[in-house]
Amino acid sequence: MTQIRTPEDVAREVAEGGLATQQMILNVGPQHPATHGVFRLLATIDGEILAEAEPVIGYMHRGYEKLVEARDYRQITNLVSRMDWLSGFNNELPLAMALETLMEIEVPPRAQWLRVVMLEMNRILNHLMFFASFGAELGAITPTFYAFREREDIQLAMESATGGRMHFGFMRPGGLKEDVPRGFIAQALKSVRQVIARLDQYEDLLVGNEIFKQRTVDVGVLSREQVMSYGVSGPIARGSGVSDDVRKDEPYLVYDRFDFNVPIGHSGDCFDRFWVLVHEVVESARIVEQAIEGLPAGPVLGKVPRVIQAPEGEVYVRAENPLGELGYYLASDGDRRPYRLKIRTPSFNNVSVLPEVLRGTFVADMIAILGSFFFVLGDIDR
Amino acid sequence: MPEFIQNFELTAWWILAIKLIVVLTVVPVGALAGGYALHKVMAHLQHRLGPMYAGGFHGWAQTLADGIKFVLKEDIIPEKADKPVFKYAPAIIFIPILLLYLVIPVDRRLIVQDLDVGLFYLLAVSSIPAIGILMAGWSSANKYALIGALRSAAQLIAYELPIVLSAATVAMLAGTLSVVGIVEAQDWPFLFWPPGIGLIAFIIFFAGSVAEMNLPPFDMPVAESEIITGAFTEYSGMRFIFGYFFAETAHMIAFSGLAVTFFLGGYRPIVPWEPLTVIPGIVWFMLKLFVMVFLYLWVRPTFPRLREDQLQKFAWKGLIPGSLGLILVAGAWILYAPEWLWH
Amino acid sequence: MSVQERVSAEEAVERLRSTLGDDVGDVEVRFGHLDATCSAENLRHVMTTLRDEPGLRFEFFTFLSAIDRSEFGGPDKPDKHGGLELIVHLYSPAHVLHINVRVPLDLADPRCESISAIYRGANWHEREMRDMFGIQFEGHPNLTGIYLPEDFEGHPGLRSFKLPNRAFIKPWPGAKDPEEAAAGGR
Repeated sequence: MTQIRTPEDVAREVAEGGLATQQMILNVGPQHPATHGVFRLLATIDGEILAEAEPVIGYMHRGYEKLVEARDYRQITNLVSRMDWLSGFNNELPLAMALETLMEIEVPPRAQWLRVVMLEMNRILNHLMFFASFGAELGAITPTFYAFREREDIQLAMESATGGRMHFGFMRPGGLKEDVPRGFIAQALKSVRQVIARLDQYEDLLVGNEIFKQRTVDVGVLSREQVMSYGVSGPIARGSGVSDDVRKDEPYLVYDRFDFNVPIGHSGDCFDRFWVLVHEVVESARIVEQAIEGLPAGPVLGKVPRVIQAPEGEVYVRAENPLGELGYYLASDGDRRPYRLKIRTPSFNNVSVLPEVLRGTFVADMIAILGSFFFVLGDIDR
Repeated sequence: MPEFIQNFELTAWWILAIKLIVVLTVVPVGALAGGYALHKVMAHLQHRLGPMYAGGFHGWAQTLADGIKFVLKEDIIPEKADKPVFKYAPAIIFIPILLLYLVIPVDRRLIVQDLDVGLFYLLAVSSIPAIGILMAGWSSANKYALIGALRSAAQLIAYELPIVLSAATVAMLAGTLSVVGIVEAQDWPFLFWPPGIGLIAFIIFFAGSVAEMNLPPFDMPVAESEIITGAFTEYSGMRFIFGYFFAETAHMIAFSGLAVTFFLGGYRPIVPWEPLTVIPGIVWFMLKLFVMVFLYLWVRPTFPRLREDQLQKFAWKGLIPGSLGLILVAGAWILYAPEWLWH
Repeated sequence: MSVQERVSAEEAVERLRSTLGDDVGDVEVRFGHLDATCSAENLRHVMTTLRDEPGLRFEFFTFLSAIDRSEFGGPDKPDKHGGLELIVHLYSPAHVLHINVRVPLDLADPRCESISAIYRGANWHEREMRDMFGIQFEGHPNLTGIYLPEDFEGHPGLRSFKLPNRAFIKPWPGAKDPEEAAAGGR
């Protein structure tokens, strides 16, 4: 953290014979390689130091909360998977769970276990993407290609089951669209085992690198108090030593049946956030292995009425999205369409803390911090 | 026979013209080959194949195709730019790099001009491109370009010194500033004799040259994820490749040539074994050159990028004191090492 | 920090009643989450207490949103229609508790005190609600648009804002053809 000079400081320096300098406004984005989307950072810089940074969002706002009021639940399931496009399957889950709660649908065990398999595979996909992009932002291009090699294997397995590569549309209230095809189990197992086997190498390449440590350790420290006050969640919160994980605290589906750890950082800097992200990949892969081992037989779709019509009621259902807590506040008045669906996306809260974290950092650090906040623009602007 | 050819004398002017034509063809061809090597080496280090289609065999014509594409593109000059400065900046970056090739001895007799102060000339010329980058950054009227240009200038000041000092060590040991003289003064095992001095000087030279050419991990002036392409953000078409891509590759090959000349024994065989002298010096030079180019390309996809202040710290606290100390050690060696140790 | 003591929702209702008393209206438990109502004047006090009270410790700010209930239940059930309601959802990581605090607001002129000084994360959520529902948060440091363009007309979150379902409810803002543009259109 560098001292930010106030205008008075500058005036004093000039009086003492220094050069007259002034702050400059730098528009980072809406089109900028480090923002992975149309995100703009209005940065006031003093030389290479950020005196003020104000994120400007909304370039991609599609008004989901209004759109869903005119669509029925089956359409919404496919719509919400477009919010965080890196983890489509995870987006569909809380909505299905909200409907299952309101309509009192029982989900068959096989569907629950298969959901866990695909959720965690989707989490690996998402985390590997950020593994790739964070390296690229710090100037290391090679991790991108390594991560994408692993992603491809998992993506092929997911594709064989769902037919989609990004927006799976495989979730149904009450279970899944259909059972997984033959060969999926073996393919999924092989791909996640490969991730576990190769991740050490990738970690050495990036986390073990001295330059990487210099760029990330003690950069962009996020305190525990900020995490709570801003509602930051997911790997970013856990990097700051907050151990909250919905899968552990309020287990949904069958998460209480698996043996997995929640990686926790302690200093809240870019390095810890990234470290947590990398280690979550291993934990997710372990969950997939266990879930495949214990996969029960049976149907994958419970008793669901032909027309999905939630009874009157209001419920907030949340789940651990790869990027943090994703929740839907569903207010139904008994219609086929939700009366109001508030979508609580993780990235929106996570990014709102950026002005505090960015103040007083270098321009180069800004890139590292933006990269370590693992946000998806569709998730912020929904 | 026409009269003017009868009167024709192979004057210095004609020789110079031929030499210039050779340099002007060798450098672009070399730069294209270097660009292709960049594509391929990086691809294979990253589990990729790289270009495979252009030209048929393993995409050999990819850089040529890229070059043609860029030349055909529209040359966009921003309205608010300082137009003459903006236009000439790429030339000021590229021409000094061409001039570097003048004094690199490819073989004992194969050198455009063996200057008595060759080393001095090289170091002077190699810092001119930074002025071009500053011009490009300032005239673009773009904040990212300005930041990139200032970073580049800061980097130049920090990294000229280690390069100059490590080259000075070499000159001290060789006892001459002539580039051919330096090559002739080196003996097997080039880099490793006198023990330690040559190797450390080489490492300092290598680090400094990576920073001077703005290659990763010291590519902050053009850090694409931070400041787009630094000073070249507003450039397009031909000015962009001459100022950036072409210059980068040509610079890399030139510095590889310098490293070969200063440290790896230039055009001389790698081991002093009589039958090896049959192989012409140019082959040895090229072999060593490829090794150096590969080293530069290898560093590139391996490391993340440093931060500007960390780089300055590395230069002023590590490389510069190190190279100054090295000069002392080299001086002591020259004064006190017994004669039989010299060869 | 992790879960310290799991508190049942019923126990939490008791704690809530004993600390806040009449400041919150009737407290219910819906699907395991607490549900309380408070007035707009009391909101800041309630939020501070919920955050700092050792037995509750609702420290994690989840979201702030609103519902316009003016068409709730459809046109044939007018008895269910209501007004505008602000919802603040908080989570207590220490006790694994959720609470929805509901604040009824005036639909014609929605005003509320800003809680962005208590939960700084509410800052952006309040700006979103200003865009979507036109709620004025008093004491907000920078209540400007966040999602919608500055010149956007209307508040899309309100039920009175109808979605233009493949039909234009407003005329196209610019000139439709070059002739019109030449004639002085934008």
